Amino acid sequence: MTETHIDREALSVLREVMEEGYPELLDTFLADSESRLGELQKTSDAKVLSAVAHSFKGSASNMGAVRLAALCQELESEAKDKSPSEIARLVADITGEFADVRPVYEDERQHALTH
Amino acid sequence: MSVVTEVSPDQKKLTIAVKGRFDFGRHQEFRESYERLDKKPESIVVDLKEATYLDSSALGMLLLLRDHAGGDESDIRVVNSSSDVKKILAISNFDKLFDIS
Amino acid sequence: MQAQEPLTVLIAEDSAADRLLLSTIVRRQGHQVLTAANGAEAVETFKEQHPDLVLMDALMPVMDGFEAARQIKVLAGEALVPIIFLTSLTESEALARCLEAGGDDFLAKPYNQVILAAKIKAMDRLRRLQATVLQQRDLIARHHDYLLNEQRVAKAVFDKVAHSGCLSAPNIRYLQSPYALFNGDLLLAAYTPAGDMHVMLGDFTGHGLPAAVGAMPLAEVFYGMTAKGYGLAETLREMNAKLKRILPVDMFCCATLLSLSFQSRSVEVWNGGMPDGYLHRMASGERVPLPARHLPLGILSAQAFDDRTDVYPMAVDDRVFLLSDGVIDTCDANDQLFGVERLQQVFAANREPDRLFEDIEQALRDFRGQARDDVSMVEVSLLESAQTHGAAPVYSDSGQSCPLNWSASFEFRGATLRRFNPLPFLLQLLLEVHGLRAQSGALYSVLAELYSNGLEHGVLGLDSSLKRDAAGFARYYEMRAARLEALQDGFVRVHLQVQPQGEGGRLVIRVEDSGKGFDVARVMERPVDNVRLSGRGIGLVRQLGRNASWSDQGRSASVEFFWEIEA
Repeated sequence: MTETHIDREALSVLREVMEEGYPELLDTFLADSESRLGELQKTSDAKVLSAVAHSFKGSASNMGAVRLAALCQELESEAKDKSPSEIARLVADITGEFADVRPVYEDERQHALTH
Repeated sequence: MSVVTEVSPDQKKLTIAVKGRFDFGRHQEFRESYERLDKKPESIVVDLKEATYLDSSALGMLLLLRDHAGGDESDIRVVNSSSDVKKILAISNFDKLFDIS
Repeated sequence: MQAQEPLTVLIAEDSAADRLLLSTIVRRQGHQVLTAANGAEAVETFKEQHPDLVLMDALMPVMDGFEAARQIKVLAGEALVPIIFLTSLTESEALARCLEAGGDDFLAKPYNQVILAAKIKAMDRLRRLQATVLQQRDLIARHHDYLLNEQRVAKAVFDKVAHSGCLSAPNIRYLQSPYALFNGDLLLAAYTPAGDMHVMLGDFTGHGLPAAVGAMPLAEVFYGMTAKGYGLAETLREMNAKLKRILPVDMFCCATLLSLSFQSRSVEVWNGGMPDGYLHRMASGERVPLPARHLPLGILSAQAFDDRTDVYPMAVDDRVFLLSDGVIDTCDANDQLFGVERLQQVFAANREPDRLFEDIEQALRDFRGQARDDVSMVEVSLLESAQTHGAAPVYSDSGQSCPLNWSASFEFRGATLRRFNPLPFLLQLLLEVHGLRAQSGALYSVLAELYSNGLEHGVLGLDSSLKRDAAGFARYYEMRAARLEALQDGFVRVHLQVQPQGEGGRLVIRVEDSGKGFDVARVMERPVDNVRLSGRGIGLVRQLGRNASWSDQGRSASVEFFWEIEA
């Protein structure tokens, strides 16, 4: 399941680049993502949705969360055209996807601490 | 290249052909055409058939050539001058220093 | 491949995780990193820290990347601060916006560190190239300022030298561009002690300082020798020798020299390499061309130099017109030359001789569409000889030890007569006597007259009645040159005697020659004739000096000068 959601290659590159900074990066990403999700859930302004989705897409792609990035791209480009219910469903998908991949990053963090 | 040189097989005669405007821009090329030879030629021909224009820096270059080739002992002919070029050479009386045709 | 030099890189990115990731990547590549979380912070940090390169996120709060990039480019001024946009924007329009805002490149997310390193390297190369260009431009500008200043100084020095002459004399009209010196054009005029006038129009090869630098020693020779009474031939020889010695082989000076004698109503001409001058005879309207018969100055060695001049008679109001090649060489839009034919047309069409310059300038303007700034022209007329002379030579001694009681005799023989002109030397000798200085013009004229009579009529046996018309004039001077060249024997003697008398003193000049003499009585009887071209010499001597007399059948002439010491 995790294969289509997370690009493992990307993770190992990140690990190699960041070295001891890897845990901090993971923490920052998780914290940022939480707050972005919060913003997506409470707003209905298409512009705001689009901007937050854009930002989320950026860091998701950097972190190798490919499916999450794709979903954010969809929200970003179609926020202004979709109905409130369609938007709500997309936001839910994004929330769900994040919940799915979150354990991988937490795992990575555990792994880094002990090695 | 606007300055073309030709040395006779026995290295005794050097022909320097100047094409286009014979002016200050030709200075370097003209000097190199005679300074770099292994053996000093006995006679030199400056061919101006394709020279369209001659100014005082060209006259100066001819003087440098003459000085290099032995001054009063030099044998330099300036050939194929157009009428405009001939006029300039005539006013400056360079026919007293060079064989001009 | 050259190792990348460490740079200071500013990373402006609002996403904390992305900022952290990028900082680490860039730091690992050896650079120093500054960060900003929005556009406003980015601009502030740029102002304070002046990073070498900026990585800019496009969409940020407070101020977006586009606006921040615009402001940073303005702050950077002429220097190149590369801005690489960080973007996950996919539409090409959005990418175009990056470049329009002043971005130099963009980097897509997810970040690829290999691509990032390559882009940083490429941008840095451009940055350093721009820095080099600016540095060299500033160097060139500074150098240019030095050159301009040098030229200003040279021009100031030269103006002093040039204006010690008599270009403002009433019989001279000239036109010279303000930058003539830097086009190599030289115009000089000076009186001789006898009141004749020497004029020179010259044209050095090249432009700018090299041309100007040769002009100064030349001008010094011209003025110095003219003031001492040397003739054209000697002055030319000296100028040629000087230029040959000091100038590089490929530099020379084309020149036309004139010696106008108001007294003998003639002009002596030497033209080396200049365009034809013209002698305009008012009575007939004829314009006699004065072509270049010689090589320019500074080319031939002293032995090979040809100082032969041509002499033409002139009537009062006749003019000699000289011009530099700037006139003939004026081009129109199709690169056609103005040329000599058009100049001749202007001459032919000219109705008022005093407006000749204006006519020529107008013709040049019509031809070219605009005025040319490197044209030199001079017109010298022969006026009646009652002119004020130039300033007397300046002496540095106080006169306490001037010689008041002495005599000297000189004999100039054979071949010496051919080449040596003793007059300047004799004059200088006489001017050691302070009381005579006020009469230097008259002294020189009389000495010159007696000497040349002794040489030409006496030793060479020339008949001055030949000089009755223009053709005869030319013939006379040809014969003079030929006989002088062939001369073996003969002499001219000059005796000078100075004695105190009363409060002042007396000078007796006696000149003898080895010739056949002449019928003194007959010549004295002739009325003084102002129209004839010759025969006024005796009258001049009698007019300028006192107690003029001829003896030994005309072979010996004597004349006296007196002076009083001013109280």
